[in-house]
Amino acid sequence: MDIVVPDLGEVGEVQIVRWLVSPGDAVAVGDPVAEVEADKAVFVVEAPSAGVLERTLIAQGQPTRPGEAIARLRSG
Amino acid sequence: MNPVFYADLGRIKYRPALALQHHLHLLRREGGVTDVVLSLEHEPVITIGRGGSETSILAPHEELTQLGVEIASIERGGDVTYHGPGQLVLYPILDLRRREKDVHRYVADLEEIMIRIARSFVVEATRRAGLPGIWHERGKLGAVGIHVRNWVTMHGLALNVGLDPDGFQWIVPCGIAGAKAVSISDIIGHPVSMGGAREAALSAVSDVLGEELIPVGEEVIAAWKRESLIG
Repeated sequence: MDIVVPDLGEVGEVQIVRWLVSPGDAVAVGDPVAEVEADKAVFVVEAPSAGVLERTLIAQGQPTRPGEAIARLRSG
Repeated sequence: MNPVFYADLGRIKYRPALALQHHLHLLRREGGVTDVVLSLEHEPVITIGRGGSETSILAPHEELTQLGVEIASIERGGDVTYHGPGQLVLYPILDLRRREKDVHRYVADLEEIMIRIARSFVVEATRRAGLPGIWHERGKLGAVGIHVRNWVTMHGLALNVGLDPDGFQWIVPCGIAGAKAVSISDIIGHPVSMGGAREAALSAVSDVLGEELIPVGEEVIAAWKRESLIG
């Protein structure tokens, strides 16, 4: 399952300012996995389901957009 | 309209205020409290947002420590900023699911609150594209920086009412070299009472959010503070 940046409203590009988990980490549903920033607002992206983080798709410091997948989760 | 608590914390050091924000943010996410707006002035502090780094702090740490200036790395958006007496700080802890799930719109609302407070002192402030906050031709008048989890907000806005601008000499404000901070009192040429600014803030927040604000008593604030220190 992909971890996707949620729809944040009238927000275009966001930047991943911090990954809070690493590949191989187990996460529960609702766990914070990354922080994205736009317009001086930091938004916490949470795990949509329980699992193990397989890999990140966007590196810390790189831009992405709402609706885009930033990581892949293996059901655990 | 839904009631929103409004808690005036007076002048407070940064870390206890941050602990209180964390406590109320968690409570709000769990449904243990309604929306709250904290109003306060900070003792001198330099905060580093997620977009910032220590390289934007120009003064040596020892000098800042001697002057009693705290330094805190925190979870808000933005770079480095300075807070101190004479600056009106509002930390709305709001569940955006009750309004619009729109982070951009919320930042615009915070800017609008500051524009309206400034206007009550006959100061016209404007937005600048790509540079969140509010501006006057003489410099930056107010800053925003927020954190959102589960659509619940924390951190917020800081409006320079009668702030001693010396604090900004220690940093590169917002990471923008040459950016100058200005206060309402600098622009109108005479001191401004923080009480007047707080009153203007009450009506600006109520009007922009479209909510009734209910002042919270000292005993409730004292209980929150105790709980935040335990938590």
